[in-house]
Parts: sequence; C-alpha cells; structure tokens
Amino acid sequence: MPKIMIPTPLRQFADKKDAMEVRGTTVGEALAELTAAHPDMKKNLFTDEGKLRSFVNVYVNDEDIRFLEKDKTPVAAGDTISIVPSIAGGI
Amino acid sequence: MIKIEQEAWRLMVDHAQKTYPNECCGAMLGLIEGDVKTVRTALPLENAYPGAQRERYELRSEDLLVAEREARKNGMDLIGIFHSHPDCDAYFSKTDLENSCPWYSFVVLSIQKGQFHHANSWLPNMEQTEAAKEELEHPHA
Ligand SMILES: [Zn+2]
Repeated sequence: MPKIMIPTPLRQFADKKDAMEVRGTTVGEALAELTAAHPDMKKNLFTDEGKLRSFVNVYVNDEDIRFLEKDKTPVAAGDTISIVPSIAGGI
Repeated sequence: MIKIEQEAWRLMVDHAQKTYPNECCGAMLGLIEGDVKTVRTALPLENAYPGAQRERYELRSEDLLVAEREARKNGMDLIGIFHSHPDCDAYFSKTDLENSCPWYSFVVLSIQKGQFHHANSWLPNMEQTEAAKEELEHPHA
C-alpha cells in the first residue's frame, strides 16, 4: 500500500502517527482517506473550498504532483506521499 | 517557547553573516517536548529566490523534503525555518506572512552591517494574516 508521511506538527491531529498506509490509487484518494480518518487534519491541508492550501505541496517519492497529474497522480504499493511546506518571505 | 542550542545557533548566525547583504534561509531540526521546542541542529539552505535576494528569500520544497527526511533519519523533527533581515529589524513582514506556513516556528535574524544584531521567533496563523511572537532563547553570539 502507498504510505503518507505525516509532518511532525500535524501528528497531533493523527493520533501521533508519523505515517499512514492508504488504499487509494491516486493522491486525491489517499489524502481524502487521511482526512477522513483524522478530520482535524483537513483544515490544515485544505481550504473551505476543498483546495490544497497555498503553503502545502505534495510529493510522490521525489516528484512534486504539480508537475505530474496533480490530485489524479497515481500511487501504488511502495510509493511514499510526502506533505511538504511551501515557504518564502522577505523584509 | 523555542530554545536554540549552541551548535545550531553558530550555524545559523554564520550562514546569515556569510550571505550578507543578501537574505539567507534554512531549516531548524530538533525535538518538541510539551511546550518547549529545542533546536539541536540547523541546516543552511540555498536562497532560491530568482530576483534581488537583499530583500527576499525562497526555499525549495525539494530542500525541505530532504530536511524532513534528514530529521527523521536522526530521530529529530523539522521544527522551524530561519531567515535573515539584512540591515533590518527582526520583524515578521507582510511578505513573510503571506508566504508562511502555520506549522512551524519562524526565526528571523537581524544582521546589521554584516554582524548579528538580534533575533525573534514568530508563529504565523493558518490564514496568514498575523504572526504571534514566540519566546526565544539562544546562546550569546
Ligand atoms: Zn522576513
């Protein structure tokens, strides 16, 4: 099964787990499974309109899903889905 | 509160002073126990902002992915991000806020005329509309 790695600050919303195995066959399904199992995670990842928040990037193994098929990117056994922050700034 | 250990602090200040007059950025790795975050080590990362880096920084998500993996491998967590403000106070700017992530502590180092001056830590909210000041403890430079 594919595995979603949970960033440290979000583990408090996932019974302290650092990863979760999912059955989904796309990134969208996998993330839906994660937020269904742990509803408090949802507002950290998605806006009220159901879009990924601007500070959230998702990777399958080493690839950014924005450059693959976004939430339709396929995932299979052995794949690792990572939630990675998007960060910049200035003065 | 967030406490930064000696070696991590040295790496952060060095990186900020070396990249002056440009902004620097990097990741802070460590442990969270109750209300206390302890930064054990820092990972200086490249400023990937394509324009003038005197007043902007950008982290590559790929670099943060590597930082997160590095942390896990060493039994630590990615707990924060640091960047510098060359010849500017260590406030959390509008640009900082609009490009922040509420899951992490943001330490800003003020570098004045090439030397470390002061630092603050900030906790931005989910809507990226405000950041609360976090109690920060760091060694003397
Ligand atoms: Zn800034």
